[in-house]
Amino acid sequence: MIEPTVLAAAGQVGEDFFKDRDAGSLCQANNANLFCWDWAKNNIDRYEPFFIQHVELVVISVLIGFVAAFGLALLSRRWSWLRVPFLLGTGVLYTIPSVAFFFLLLPFTGRGRDTAIIALSVYTLQIIYRNTILGLDNVPRASIDAARGMGMTDRQILRKVELPLASPEIVTGLIVATVSTVAIATLAALAGGGGLGEVIVGKEKLGLDFKTNLIIAGGLTIALAIVFGLMLMGVQRMLTPWRRARPA
Amino acid sequence: MAESETGMSAIPVASIEGAIEFIFTPQSSNVTGGKKVGGIDQVIELTLNQLWLTVVALAIALAVALPIGLYLGHRHKWESFAISFGTAGRGIPELILIAFFAAAIGVGFRNVVLALAILGIPPILANAFVGINQVDRSSVDAARGMGMSELEILRKVEIPLAIPTLMGGLRSATIAVVATATIAPYGGYETLGDFIINENVYGENGVLAGAILVALLAVTLELTLAGVQRLLTSPGLKLRPA
Amino acid sequence: MPSGEATTDITSASGASSVSYQGATKRYGDAKVAAVDELTLEVPAGEICVLVGPSGCGKTTAMRMVNRTVEMSSGDILVGGESVRSKDAAQLRREIGYVIQQIGLFPHRTITQNIGTVPQLLGRKKEWISERSAELLSLVGLDPEFGDRYPAQLSGGQQQRVGVARALAADPLVMLMDEPFGAIDPINRERLQNEFLRLQAQVRKTVLFVTHDIDEAIKMGDRIAVMREGGRVEQYATPAELLMAPANEFVEDFVGADRALKRLALMRVSDIDLWEAPWATAGQSTAEVRAKLDAPDVEVPYPLLVDAERRPLGWLSERDLAADTVPSQPDSPLGPVLDRDDVMRDALADMLQGGAQYAAVTDAGGRVAGVLSVEIISEFLVSPAAKEEEHGAAERPLSTEKVDD
Repeated sequence: MIEPTVLAAAGQVGEDFFKDRDAGSLCQANNANLFCWDWAKNNIDRYEPFFIQHVELVVISVLIGFVAAFGLALLSRRWSWLRVPFLLGTGVLYTIPSVAFFFLLLPFTGRGRDTAIIALSVYTLQIIYRNTILGLDNVPRASIDAARGMGMTDRQILRKVELPLASPEIVTGLIVATVSTVAIATLAALAGGGGLGEVIVGKEKLGLDFKTNLIIAGGLTIALAIVFGLMLMGVQRMLTPWRRARPA
Repeated sequence: MAESETGMSAIPVASIEGAIEFIFTPQSSNVTGGKKVGGIDQVIELTLNQLWLTVVALAIALAVALPIGLYLGHRHKWESFAISFGTAGRGIPELILIAFFAAAIGVGFRNVVLALAILGIPPILANAFVGINQVDRSSVDAARGMGMSELEILRKVEIPLAIPTLMGGLRSATIAVVATATIAPYGGYETLGDFIINENVYGENGVLAGAILVALLAVTLELTLAGVQRLLTSPGLKLRPA
Repeated sequence: MPSGEATTDITSASGASSVSYQGATKRYGDAKVAAVDELTLEVPAGEICVLVGPSGCGKTTAMRMVNRTVEMSSGDILVGGESVRSKDAAQLRREIGYVIQQIGLFPHRTITQNIGTVPQLLGRKKEWISERSAELLSLVGLDPEFGDRYPAQLSGGQQQRVGVARALAADPLVMLMDEPFGAIDPINRERLQNEFLRLQAQVRKTVLFVTHDIDEAIKMGDRIAVMREGGRVEQYATPAELLMAPANEFVEDFVGADRALKRLALMRVSDIDLWEAPWATAGQSTAEVRAKLDAPDVEVPYPLLVDAERRPLGWLSERDLAADTVPSQPDSPLGPVLDRDDVMRDALADMLQGGAQYAAVTDAGGRVAGVLSVEIISEFLVSPAAKEEEHGAAERPLSTEKVDD
């Protein structure tokens, strides 16, 4: 028995729930089926705009988060007292559940994609910042000492020694950030931000308990995460030829 | 007041004062006709619900993930699996998971808790693996050479040295579980998230109040765990190198 | 030799510069005691100057002040007559070779790229760097094929050789080496030291070498500065002088109680004036032989029996000389026989082990060239000659094995 609050959350349950273009209602009413292939085949195109929105949300947020995190990392290298406040600050923000975050931002930025992107960017910021700092910390001191002693300027050391050696860690941060963002972006719909969450709780609700819908949406999300993950892992391998060399 | 499709106001009128009032005093609501919503009692009830949900889910996740992670880490087996598992776990879409469980298995505490436990398992397992795997091999070697059994090594050497990483895993899991517990209402169990997702019931003040409360709950839990971590971490590990 | 550009012939290009410390001081914060206090020292071009002393004496700080990886608080240092402050620090460092204990190769670059670091900073092209890198790898005793490998694929000793090659790549005026062989196991360390000395014989760089090991200092240095806290130089002298005439108790303790023996390790048998060896062949008249023995310069009491090629067979005794002619079989056995190229310390050891006061010395062909005695050695040690170097560091006898190449 579905609680009233759940029904209320699903919004205008009556009309939308059974609004269908084709044979959806047959499948929807017949919820015993786990997955209706026919319905899926006929309606898969309905997911397209949301899928694209989802990709946009992820890519934009990760890019913003990456640039910001990189900037913060460089700043805190220069002025090391910044590290602790940055880590704490981003850490606290990361702790706040995305749903709460969206709605805390609402009074300031309103409903829509911007709110979602801001929140998602903050999450990616935390992950990438931490990993970037970690990566830079793990660069062997002897290499930096040698580089400086040989006459590299600070900028050259950063560019030619520290960043390349920190890149595996940084890309790992990117991978985790991207995969997480794909998942969290499903909630963007609650704040009117679009994405695949829309088909569940957003404008184009196809029903909260319509299993086929959930499977498709879930499948698309997971597939997206996997694709992004694999792509970035490929990038990571490309950037680190020295790790592939077998040790003496 | 303009209304969008879902009945929420386009111009936000929530205010901090309104939210605080909502938390403490029951308000009248448009939808439930007469019955009051909000107020400190309901707040406490939903907070406890969310806490309870979180604790049980984490307990289950720990019971499942910790032994596996510790074992694999101790034997240094399946490293790529453990780490990818952790990363992959962060890609599980929480909303869809909850909804799917609700649709497939049913609504209510039991099913929601299972979904949450699933979310908590990857970070705990991955961090347990990494923490134990990265313990200085010479310490383990020495312990083995002194005659400690494998279990004793795990208990007395590896786990204490891995506490920071292990706790990190627990904290990660907590963040994920608390966040998803917020949308537990979609699975038929009321938590603080209810205030947030049902604006037509609770009003904009309710939404803001819910967001504030959830944020506070999450941060408090995180700080508590951070404190626990400090307590559990041996002083030897906290020393900065000379 | 790389084509198209100025010569990269290592022995001739930019040569080497002198280094002159002029009251150089380094004080950290407002510490009462300076880490290096008014250091004044001259290092002639082309020489290896070793800074040696206990931990914390400031030797590494003093070395680092030359390439400004530690900035002086006051005073000056001149390299080739020019103050190190006269250029931009990064610029200066590209002209100075830098080798550190932990080596510090860049893990993410190939060996060739590592070696080419400074040349690349100076604008050299890839082809030039490749050729130069191959040249240098051979010079430090590595197969040029290593150029395409990554540091993680090399052993510690190999990595350190690459470190030296890297420091030489831009043909620097001065080389700074901070305990460069400290992280290597003793066997490879000795090899690396020997090879570096052979290298130095070819390239003749000015080298500032820091170590805490007095034996390494004595082996590697043309001149040694024994330092104490505050970078105070207790004595700055050649190894010979340091060993035979330590300036004070601190230096004496530091060089060790066996300094006389250490001194002997710095020279060969051929470096000393040997006694005449009165030799006799079988069948020679004993009267002739006696006459030889009575000659004024001869110190040896008995003659050596030699064959037709003057190779030693044994010592003749009184009994042998009692007869009219020299017998073909000597009465006393030959005992230890030394080679002119032997390290003096080993020669002494041989004599002592053989229970002999003196021994025959042969040349490369095995022919008798003279006689060495314990007396000669001890007289030498107390003479002023002992305080003077026979060889510079690059020509010193290496290790305790016979030199055979």
